[in-house]
Parts: sequence; C-alpha cells; structure tokens
Amino acid sequence: MRLVELSRSEHRELRIRGDRVEASAAHQHLIPIVVGEFRKAATQYPIVFAKHPETGRFAPYVLSGLGVAENLFWSGTELDVAYVPLNVRRQPFYVRMDDAPDASAANVLCIDLDHPCLDPSGTRTIVNADGSDSAYLKEILAILGELVAGRTATEQFIAALLSLDLLAPIMLDIVLEDATPLQLQGLYGLDEERFRQLDAAQIASLWQSGYLDLIYAVMIASGQIFKLIRLKNQRIALSRAWQGNAS
Amino acid sequence: MERPIRSICIVGGGTAGWLTAAIIAARHASRSGCGLEITLVESESIGIIGVGEGTWPTMRSTLKKVGISETDFFRECNASFKHGAKFARWVTGQASDFYYHPLMLPEGFPSLDLAPYWMKYSEAQRDAPSFSNAVCFQEAVCELGLAPKLITTPEYAGVANYAYHLDAGRFAGFIREHCVRKLGIRHVVDDVTEVISSDTGAIDSVQTRKSGRLGADLFIDASGFRSLLLGETMGVPFVDRSDVLFIDRALAVQVPHDHEQSDIVPYTVSTAQKHGWIWDIGLQSRRGVGYVYSSNHTTAEAALAELRAYVGDKHRDLQPREIRIACGHRQVFWKGNCVAVGLAGGFLEPLEASALVLIELSADMISTMLPATREAMPIVAERYNKITQYRWDRIIDFLKLHYILSRRTDSAFWIDNREPKSIPDSLQEQLELWRYRTPGDQDFTSNCEMFPAASYQYVLYGMGFRTDTRHQAFDSDIGGAKRAFAQNETLKARWTKTLPKNRDLIDKIKTLGLQKI
Repeated sequence: MRLVELSRSEHRELRIRGDRVEASAAHQHLIPIVVGEFRKAATQYPIVFAKHPETGRFAPYVLSGLGVAENLFWSGTELDVAYVPLNVRRQPFYVRMDDAPDASAANVLCIDLDHPCLDPSGTRTIVNADGSDSAYLKEILAILGELVAGRTATEQFIAALLSLDLLAPIMLDIVLEDATPLQLQGLYGLDEERFRQLDAAQIASLWQSGYLDLIYAVMIASGQIFKLIRLKNQRIALSRAWQGNAS
Repeated sequence: MERPIRSICIVGGGTAGWLTAAIIAARHASRSGCGLEITLVESESIGIIGVGEGTWPTMRSTLKKVGISETDFFRECNASFKHGAKFARWVTGQASDFYYHPLMLPEGFPSLDLAPYWMKYSEAQRDAPSFSNAVCFQEAVCELGLAPKLITTPEYAGVANYAYHLDAGRFAGFIREHCVRKLGIRHVVDDVTEVISSDTGAIDSVQTRKSGRLGADLFIDASGFRSLLLGETMGVPFVDRSDVLFIDRALAVQVPHDHEQSDIVPYTVSTAQKHGWIWDIGLQSRRGVGYVYSSNHTTAEAALAELRAYVGDKHRDLQPREIRIACGHRQVFWKGNCVAVGLAGGFLEPLEASALVLIELSADMISTMLPATREAMPIVAERYNKITQYRWDRIIDFLKLHYILSRRTDSAFWIDNREPKSIPDSLQEQLELWRYRTPGDQDFTSNCEMFPAASYQYVLYGMGFRTDTRHQAFDSDIGGAKRAFAQNETLKARWTKTLPKNRDLIDKIKTLGLQKI
C-alpha cells in the first residue's frame, strides 16, 4: 500500500478499472462496516465484532469467510453478493485522519497508488475533461463521507453495547462436510441472553438512541452463518470433484 | 445462646489490611441486609512498610474478584507485568550464571513430564538448551523484554501466565479507594491506644484516640511487624526461623529509570551477592532495588558498598532505607477471635514474592471459612492454623532450596547455608527422592500446596541439580516428548515475534485500556 494525498491535477490522468475494485476483498474474511450499513449488510452476511489488533478497540465487521483470509463470496472475478460494504466500494481511496484539533480539517483524501485497479486500461477518471470532479469521484466522495460520518456513530454504538455488557465471544462450533473443524478466533457477537435481561428503561433508552434497530439487525444477521457454511461446503464439494477429475 | 458473627474490625491500613478488607467484603458484604459490617482502622501516625512489590499470578483473580478493572490498576499503581524471576549468579557466582523460574508450567505438564527427557538430552549434548528454555517459551520472551499479552487480550487474561510488579504504597491507596467507595467498608483514620480484652481472653474492642471504642466479633491484625493484637495483646510468641533462612536486613532503594521510555524488565531479577541477594523490580516510573543480607555474616557498610556497586555510580547519591527483618512467624495465626495477616503474622525474605500471595490466601481463607457463630470459631481457628503453618513451612523449604543448590564458596554465608543442620527434614527427604526421580505432583499431596512440582523442577534443574533417572519408572513416551519440545519451539517462535515490548503495552493500556472481554 502506498497512500498519497489525492491531487486533482497531478492524478488527472489516472485510470481506474472498476472491475478490479472488489478484488481487494478477495482474501478478507472480515470487512469493517459502519452502523449505517447494518440493515443492508444483515441481508447478506453475519455481522460480528472484533478488536483492532493495534488498539484493542471493538469495531463491527461483516463475516465473509469461515477461515482466515477466506472470502466465500469471491467468485474469482467479483464479489457475488447483493450488498458490497462501503469499505470495499471506496477502493482505492482512503481518508487519512491527521491528529489535528479541528477534525473536519484533518480529513485528507488519499489514493493507494499500489492498488491493482489503477491501470491504463481503466475507464474511470477522477476529473472530467474540463477539470471538474467526475461523477465517479463524486460517488467515491459520497461513500467516504458516509464512512467518516459513520465512524463516530459506530464508536458510540459499540460503547453503548459494552456499557451494557452486551458483547460476548462467539464460539463457532461448526464441523464442515469434510470434517474439518473451524478455527476462527477473536470474534464477538451480541449476548442475546443478556439482552433479554435488560429492564424496560434500558430498552427504552436503546430504542430512543436508535440502537434497538441495530441490535435486531445483528441478531437477525447471525442466521447468515448458515449461508457461509453452505458456501463453504459447496467449495469443498467443488474442490473434491476437481481432485476427482484430476486423478 | 448463639452469637452470630456480624462485624469485623481490621487494624492496619497497609496492603495487608486493605487487601484483606476487599477480599472479605467482595464475598460477604453483598448479601443484602445480613452482610458483614467491616471497619478498618488506619493509623494516622504509623506509615506503611510497603515491601511487597512482586505478586503471584493469583493477584489477577484476586483483583478481578473484588471488582477492580485491570486497566485502572495499571493507571494507578505504577504497575508492570512479570513473567517470573531470573536468578543471576546463584550457582557459581560467575557473570554468565543465570536461570529462570517462569510462571508457566513446562509444556505438557503434568500429564507429561519432560524433565527426564531433558536430563538425558542435556547429558548427551553439551549445547543443549537450559531446562526452562527447553520446556517453556517464557525465558525467550523475557530475554527480549516482551509483555505477556496483547492489547486485544481481555483484562486479566494472558498469552503467557503472568503476575505483577507494583508500587506497594500506591497499591494500598488504590485498594483503599475501592474498599471505601465500592465495597462499603468503614474507614476510621485514628490511632489505636489500647486493646481491650474480655474476661474470656477474647478481644472485646480497640480504643482509639478520637473515634472511641470499636468493637467487633472478629479482629484482624494487619498492624505490621508490631503484631499489636495477636502478638502484643494475645501474647502469641514469635517463632524465629533464622536457623534455616539467615537474612535479617534489607537495604531498599528506589532507582529512577534512565529516561521516561526506558524498557521495563518484565521479570524480577534476583542477583546473588556475597552475603545475600539483590532484588530488582521494574515499575513504570522507577526500579525498586534492595539488598537483603545476613548481618551475622557482613557489616552494614560492606552491604551498602555491594548495593552501590550494583546500582552503579550514577546513582551513588541515593539513600537506601534500612529495614530490620525477622525471619519467622507467629506460633499460631488465629487465636480466639483474632487472626493476623501480612507482617503481623510473620515475614520471609522476598525471594519468591510470597508476602502478597500469603495475604491473598489468608484473606480468602478467612472469607470462606468464616464461621457463622462465635461458638464455631475455635474449630475454624485450629484448621486455619494448620493450613497456614503448612504453607509457611512449604515456602521456607522452597526458599531454602535456592541456597542449598548454590555452589558458591566466596563467603561463610553461602557455605553455612548448605550446613545440613540448617536444612529442614522435609526438604532433605524431598531431595533424597529427587536424586533418582524428577519431582512430580505425587510429591506434593496437600490441597494447600504453595509451589507446584514444576517450580521445584525449574529451580533444581536451573541450578544444575542432577537426577539420575536410570531407575526412574515412567511411561516412556519419546514421541510425545519430542512433540512437546517441538511445540515449545513453535510457541517460542510465534510469541517472540508477536508480543509487544513490556513498556509499549503498558503505555497502550494506560491510553486505550484493555477490554473486559
């Protein structure tokens, strides 16, 4: 990764291949999301929580694989799924958060010059012929805006969950069709038992802050684990068939 | 008529008093309505000794149980992580002479005992790794100055088993805050002027200068070396154990770090000297260093010179504090309605950080064994005394082991320490067993043991003790042993690469905090 500040003049010639954007997630089993995405994400993936390796802070993720660096939705050319998280769609652009007292001035738009979607054969550019922002860049800016705005809301939601002891480690006790046990560690989910013990005042406060919707989205999304298991078993069956053919 | 136990009065506001208060309150005070009333009297005029700066891993469960956050503990107590102890110059006295007593059990222990395999291996190969390095990954982690966990590891959990180094003064204050604010303990700051006994010989109350008489059903003596209640009032004599352990003086000094970001050594260093040994404990802001020695073998001036040589010329202006210590304990620990914890019960040199753990164990026992009525108290007292005496004896055995395995001949201190008459029979018997068989859990049959067989292995084989395993009956499982040695190498490779520096993790914990889950 080579992040540099995006310059509309210096980078005007850059060409971006939209079909390669999703490739960056081909080996991601966890993709970070913000609370604004929970509803859509819940229709496709389990939503889990994990700690940032550098800070130990919790963040929400969609679970897209059952092994480290495995994305079961990756078809080889694209993510075969009805909702692709903002953190994938914004590639190869990033927002660098500088340590400045004025947060709004501290957000710097950057581009990853090492990203595989930067290619002369690409059709997308960041500026139009007249130098104005392209529709593509405007779309990217909207996505990044959503991510930046969602960051604080997401942190607040996590803090609320922690203060009510609503997060608990997930024990994935799944044996796949080829009898391999799963080894995913460090995932956390909602402690539903604890949630059911909350009193009316606590529930009312969750409802007022809009967190109740998010909690239900996470709970409903937990059933998506069965989709991942199905996809994983399909992969196993495919590779078996392939090996059968080969021998 | 039965007399229920409703109130406890603790005399003494050092670590022993406050830690005991917290442990008992966490268990009893939550029983709504019928909870115990706990009062702690802290003297206005007497300071705390604060010698205990190293803990056992038990402190993690103790703090968790009393409801303290590990993050707060690191923020308030100048605390750091401890993987175990490194003993330098204990065997030959050479500069290259050292071994580790890590806090993790050897790989596979106790279902698999690697010691006899290591013994054979190290006989066959001159450059074989040390025992602790062959069976445990902590020595490698220690040598790199790494912490025992990651920022993602929850509070009180560890990648490696760990304990703490802490600032005893700050720790007492920290626990006090928690006791007063969260656990509802009554805090009386006043001097005890008189202890009033009833005609049955029990303690009725303590008279204070300004706060009147404080009565209670049970009195806990945490008054330090003075042993005001158990020793002075109840007349329980002190049992001197200096026939086994010779150390009777400590010279303690606080050494500042070279700079704010100096590495913090993640283990206790104990360096043998001519007439004793020097402890070196890394805290966030300083090191606690002290020379414990035998005044029968050297003079205060000579000891001071040895300590100065250790801390270096740079710190020659530091003024060490001298503490006179008497090695031993009270003849009983619980008499009538009075039980002593901490220094009031006794003292041993801090070679294996036994002071704080004994407080935890005592408080736990008082808390769980606490009888419902005064009538049942003698039964509990007798059991408590038996267990506590057993624990002191086992610690004394284990401390003595370090001395008798030394081959140092540079002073009468070391030579006298190997005099057979100074070695307890219980320890001599064990050593006779271990000449031909490696220590195992079968050699430690009480459920109140202090040190596991693994600790004996680390010290014995770390100090070059040889067990002749030719006649040892064990289920030979060479495949299993090879796998365990290989597993240790795998863990060593993984964790030496992944664990952060001790200082870096502590800084991170202070700014970001650890998660509770």
